[in-house]
Amino acid sequence: MRKFAHWFVHRFAHRSVHQIVAGVIGMVLPVMVSAASETVKINDPAAGWDKLWHNVIVDITIIGVLFALVTAWFIWTSRRRPGNEVGASVKLSPAGAVGWVVIPVFVFLSIDLYTAANGWVLWNHYRDVPVNRMEIKLESGMYSWDYTYPNGVRTQNELIVPAGTPIVLRMTSRDTLHSHYIPDFRVKEDSMPGRVTYLWFNPTKPGEHIVACAEYCGVSHGYMAGRVIVKAPDEYAAWMKGEETKLAATTETVPAAKSVKTNKPTTAAKKT
Amino acid sequence: MAHDAHHAQAQQDHAGHADHAGHAHAHWDTSVWPFVISFGILFLALAFSFKFVYHNGFAAILSLGLGIPMILAGVAGWTSEAMGKGDGFSYSAMGWFILAEAMIFVSFFVGYWYTRLHADVWPPAGTITLPRVMPIVMTFVLVASSLTIHYAEHLLHLGNKAGFRFWYMLTIVLGATFLGMSVYEWSHLMHEGFTISTNAFSTIFFSVTGLHGSHVVVGLVIFLAGLPSVLRSDVDEGFMRTAGLYWHFVDIIWFFVVSQIYYW
Amino acid sequence: MNLKEWIFTTDHKRVGVLYLIGSMAAFAVAGIMAMLMRIELSTIGPTITANPTQYNVWLYTHGAVMILGFQIPALTGFFANYCIPLMIGAKDVAFPRVNALSVWLFYVGVILALLTFFVPDPPDIMWTGYPPYSTITTGNTALYTFTVLILGFASIIGGVNFLTTVAYMRAPGVTLNKLNIFVWCTLGAFVLQLVFVPVLGTAVTLISMDKYLGTHFFDPANGGDVLTYQNLFWFYSHPAVYVIFLPFIGVVYEVIAAHGKNMVFNYKMVVYGGVGGIVALSGVVWVHHLYVSGMADWLRIGQMITTLMISIPVGLMMIGLIGTLYRSSIAFTTPMLYALGVVFLFLIGGLTGIPLALPALTIGVSDTYYVVGHFHYVMAVAGTFAIFAGVYHWFPKVTGKMYSEFWGKLGFWITFVGVNIVFWIMMDIGVKGMPRRYYDYPHFPQFEAAHQWMTVGAAILGVGFFIAVLNWIMGAKNGKPAGDNPWGSPSLEWSTVSPPPHGNWPTPPSVAEDWHPYGFRKD
Ligand code: HEA
Ligand code: HEA
Ligand code: CUA
Ligand SMILES: [Cu+2]
Repeated sequence: MRKFAHWFVHRFAHRSVHQIVAGVIGMVLPVMVSAASETVKINDPAAGWDKLWHNVIVDITIIGVLFALVTAWFIWTSRRRPGNEVGASVKLSPAGAVGWVVIPVFVFLSIDLYTAANGWVLWNHYRDVPVNRMEIKLESGMYSWDYTYPNGVRTQNELIVPAGTPIVLRMTSRDTLHSHYIPDFRVKEDSMPGRVTYLWFNPTKPGEHIVACAEYCGVSHGYMAGRVIVKAPDEYAAWMKGEETKLAATTETVPAAKSVKTNKPTTAAKKT
Repeated sequence: MAHDAHHAQAQQDHAGHADHAGHAHAHWDTSVWPFVISFGILFLALAFSFKFVYHNGFAAILSLGLGIPMILAGVAGWTSEAMGKGDGFSYSAMGWFILAEAMIFVSFFVGYWYTRLHADVWPPAGTITLPRVMPIVMTFVLVASSLTIHYAEHLLHLGNKAGFRFWYMLTIVLGATFLGMSVYEWSHLMHEGFTISTNAFSTIFFSVTGLHGSHVVVGLVIFLAGLPSVLRSDVDEGFMRTAGLYWHFVDIIWFFVVSQIYYW
Repeated sequence: MNLKEWIFTTDHKRVGVLYLIGSMAAFAVAGIMAMLMRIELSTIGPTITANPTQYNVWLYTHGAVMILGFQIPALTGFFANYCIPLMIGAKDVAFPRVNALSVWLFYVGVILALLTFFVPDPPDIMWTGYPPYSTITTGNTALYTFTVLILGFASIIGGVNFLTTVAYMRAPGVTLNKLNIFVWCTLGAFVLQLVFVPVLGTAVTLISMDKYLGTHFFDPANGGDVLTYQNLFWFYSHPAVYVIFLPFIGVVYEVIAAHGKNMVFNYKMVVYGGVGGIVALSGVVWVHHLYVSGMADWLRIGQMITTLMISIPVGLMMIGLIGTLYRSSIAFTTPMLYALGVVFLFLIGGLTGIPLALPALTIGVSDTYYVVGHFHYVMAVAGTFAIFAGVYHWFPKVTGKMYSEFWGKLGFWITFVGVNIVFWIMMDIGVKGMPRRYYDYPHFPQFEAAHQWMTVGAAILGVGFFIAVLNWIMGAKNGKPAGDNPWGSPSLEWSTVSPPPHGNWPTPPSVAEDWHPYGFRKD
């Protein structure tokens, strides 16, 4: 029994369901997906976000304005005047009644599926981390962001990264929920105790970006901010060198791998 | 045609009661018991806060001392006020209520599956082997009680009052036996150091079996509340069917408890 | 007036009025919390309190009371109680005492929620109560648990009551295809309550057990899982938004049909496609609140599609509304203004939900003021407007008197201006990055001006609501007699006297063959 359950879970819940769902979606929408991926060529999710956001806002604005105009028109022409003390509603024939269900359903459904297809493409950009990434571990806590670089260097509330390298954060939390939100890179994901989650972003040019906490975590939630500092690659290398020397100078051993404290490694962060 | 039909009857009835409504002492039904029960429940909620949040045992006892009598008085008053005056809707209402009840169990099970399927090791450290035989015996007892109550209903329907009374009481005995076995098992486990706060599994084990047990208790309370009229032989079939429905529900839930918690 | 006959009443109309009074009081309190929050946010740094926890408690109370103490009880408590038995021609509900129990439990729940202001260490866990914070805070999580449990239980027994009532107590001739749209919508809402409230009850019970009784449901160190809570919570709380939406759109249908004197457009589409579709879909979209919480990827993608598909039944309901306006005969009374306002403002609220349905876009705006703007448009604006439309519409029936149209319309226009200032700006700064649930925002100085505008807007809309409530109080006291059927509606509740006596009709009504609740036209 237990064996079977294990087998079942591993076989289906963890792997295949994902694939089946993806497969079904892929079959239902092949045309749209390909159409969408042509128009929305995105590799950097942030740029893709801006584009898709804009498209969806335009779509819903058109729908909203159409509905609002029709409504306003009906209101105007139907105001009560002498001679129309009661409404003169149209009586639908059975075919008309069905038509008024089937046609809108198809129109709405196709808008939905088109939107979903676009959303799916961008979603994959968010989840498929480039191979040339740098992996940094993040442990959040009340109230700080603690980063650990692959070589063991640590920083607090300042994530210093080289321009041109995609960065992936493997995140967990030591107390409550937090959410690592970098508005400029259009990305956030919660961190929590007991699981490892991830997000990635693509810093292209030097600059500073705010990091805000986007999941309520207690009294100082509003103050839990940090910065992403993107340096030119050579400046970054220089800084990192300095940090490494500092680290070597300290006598304590480097607790590199241990810094992410979890008893369930990579449950949610299986992909990539 | 009958253009004015939409206002039809009701409009015509107007004349009849327009003046009637004007009377200041038109009669409005009242009952104090819902009010009493509600505020009794308020005191229970306060007692919990006093005890566990503010660690004020005295205030907690005081609250309980107010709340529990209010609730008991409310239930007693309500029952005596309303018994036998229903419109026979209770059976189908019980169906809806059971839907809601079932969802509580579903939530617990889903929470359990969700936690369990995401865990790398299960059961978590500290879990002991659960007894294997006891739950089977308990299942037999509970299934038997479902059959006895069904048979009792059948006899009542045929008009066999004495037979009905026997099988009804037998059901109560079986239910109580089940409860006794539960208590025995709990104390046995706790004795071995497996308590509700041992780990995530013990938490689920005790809360799910406890939740089910509390439903057994409620079922027994319903039967006991009906006992006086059973002994007087004036129990009505509607009450029996409603109570029986609830009891079958409690029985069915047990299958899930056994299969999910004990044998998986 | 006999006070005892009010407090201990089991009559559905009086129970309904008790619900109305309680939920409006809750609205006022939670509205004042909103005002305090707005004032606090109007400047960076401390404005009226230097203690973030104080702000968090206001926000907790505001969210929890607005949803659980104001909108759900006003819609499924007041409107359902007052209107359903009258609309189906019943003398009362199936279980009048259970009904009384439900309203007093509602009061007990609201009392518990408001104890927040009097107890030491009040709850500061937001209306969502996520662990682990809710299990480690010094705040009183138990108060939250019991508030939710008691209000939830009140709602469940109400639901059982009304489903039974409509099933068995319709007057002869009131067939299922002649039920008011409002009745159908509310039945849908009650089915959702019955199925999903127990899940919420379980979720909130478990956090108090973890916190006070030493269990480990959400404690990863002992094998628990924090995400379990979020799944259970939203498994209820998403359907909860349709528990609000369905009755409020039902009210809007009643008002638009009655004040436009028109047949509802494509009745069966609205009932089976709209209400049925929403009920069917609402249980499988909860993950859209967990897009950034670390949920499994396949769940996020699957529920993106179901969430988008909710636009189909909701869209059908919009078509039904707009179709009802077509060739109607609109009188621009106060209730009609509010109802028409809902049509436009719900479009904004509903359509801004569409980008949120995409996990890829939500990654940018989740937990920002964009979301806050979205749900205030659907709930705080469309929902509240619908409730106000309904209260105005049935005001003559409940009190037998007429409110003042002048003050009614004035209140409407003031509020209309106010809500759009506040909630439009919210969406705008949200997209630009303003996170929600911030007591202070020193890292986002660029939004200070916007926050100030919102505070001004909030003051304006508060005045508008205040005028409306005052208008009711004055109208109930010294309004002119309204007559039994001031809107000339064939719907059954208007066929008895205003206010209806105990028992509603002296003899149970029965309706003619060609009667229909929206049969205004005589041909
Ligand atoms: C009455 C309340 C109500 C209603 C009706 C809705 C309706 C919808 N909501 Fe909203 N929502 C809330 C109340 C409500 N919501 C609340 C309270 C929260 C936040 C809770 C918290 O975190 O505190 C929230 C949050 C929320 C989120 C989570 C955001 C986040 O936290 O990251 C999402 C994500 O998908 C979402 C989506 C939707 C969608 C798709 C609809 C749809 O039902 C809308 C459908 C309507 C339309 C689309 C318009 C009319 C239709 C047409 C004109 C037809 C044609 C249109 C198309 C084909 C697109 N809502
Ligand atoms: C139905 C629900 C509802 C309603 C109506 C409102 C109404 C309002 N909301 Fe609310 N809001 C929520 C539900 C609602 N809200 C929820 C669920 C949250 C999220 C909570 C969380 O994060 O956990 C939230 C969060 C929220 C925030 C976000 C805070 C933050 O994230 O830090 C803000 C900020 O401005 C805000 C503002 C307002 C304002 C200005 C109103 C105004 O419209 C209020 C206007 C009303 C009044 C001013 C009262 C009118 C006066 C009377 C009726 C008095 C008359 C009475 C007598 C004479 C007896 N709300
Ligand atoms: Cu950390 Cu909010
Ligand atoms: Cu939702």
